[in-house]
Amino acid sequence: MTKAKEKELVLVVDSNLGRATSLHNACVESGCRTVVARDLPTALLMISQHVFGAAVFSSRIGEEGDGWSLAAVFRLVFPKAYVAMIDRERSVTSLQAAINHGADELFDNNDAPVQVARSVVSAISQKSNETVQ
Amino acid sequence: MSIPNPKLLIVDDEPSVALTLKMIFQREGYEVATAASCAEALRIIDDRAAFDAVITDLNMEREDIGLEVVKAAQQMAPKPVVVVCTGYANLQNSAKALQMKIDYLATKPVDLEQLIGAMSVMLRRRDDGASRATAS
Repeated sequence: MTKAKEKELVLVVDSNLGRATSLHNACVESGCRTVVARDLPTALLMISQHVFGAAVFSSRIGEEGDGWSLAAVFRLVFPKAYVAMIDRERSVTSLQAAINHGADELFDNNDAPVQVARSVVSAISQKSNETVQ
Repeated sequence: MSIPNPKLLIVDDEPSVALTLKMIFQREGYEVATAASCAEALRIIDDRAAFDAVITDLNMEREDIGLEVVKAAQQMAPKPVVVVCTGYANLQNSAKALQMKIDYLATKPVDLEQLIGAMSVMLRRRDDGASRATAS
């Protein structure tokens, strides 16, 4: 897998510890630095304290956490960053939510973390190439 | 709304839908042009008309042809806000719309209040982005 050109910071938000850890590991192995949050308040704090090149959000964070709204907030703060959403399944409704909340790509729970990380790295590399040009 | 009279292109082959959207957005202060087919929309876009936003149906001359309007609109400079408005969203065309990075997907029957609100936010964001690009 190509290493991310710059060590871009990636925000991973998922209340599922196993999946958050897998996503973190896959991103780190791909050459990214990551910040992991498992709830909304921490995620919002991280957004206010760091500059992110990409983010991976679960659509449901905890019992009531809305990952879609978090994605929209992230998009407002970092308009050029890459945003991947993970939803239970790929449906018209989830695709519509992804579009309307500013996500770049939608994955479902069955997609491997390494696949998500690959997309993150590819998007970051593409963006840094665009910046160089 | 930061742009005083945003220019909007509405593309829909159902006259009642096009007229309803036109009246609603005109009332909101938009300057509205309409096209009744993908071909007509492409002609308007080719004539180098400038639009701040484009709302297009998907199924007109054929299924999903609205994505051609999306493609043409996204090549305009400056790029307008692009909204797809359809009663026939499915996994394939929705995935394609996400991949093409459209700004908003509305399903018919359209929640007009929500669409107007979303359009206003998207136009403000687009305007902010353009201002930042000019300043830097």
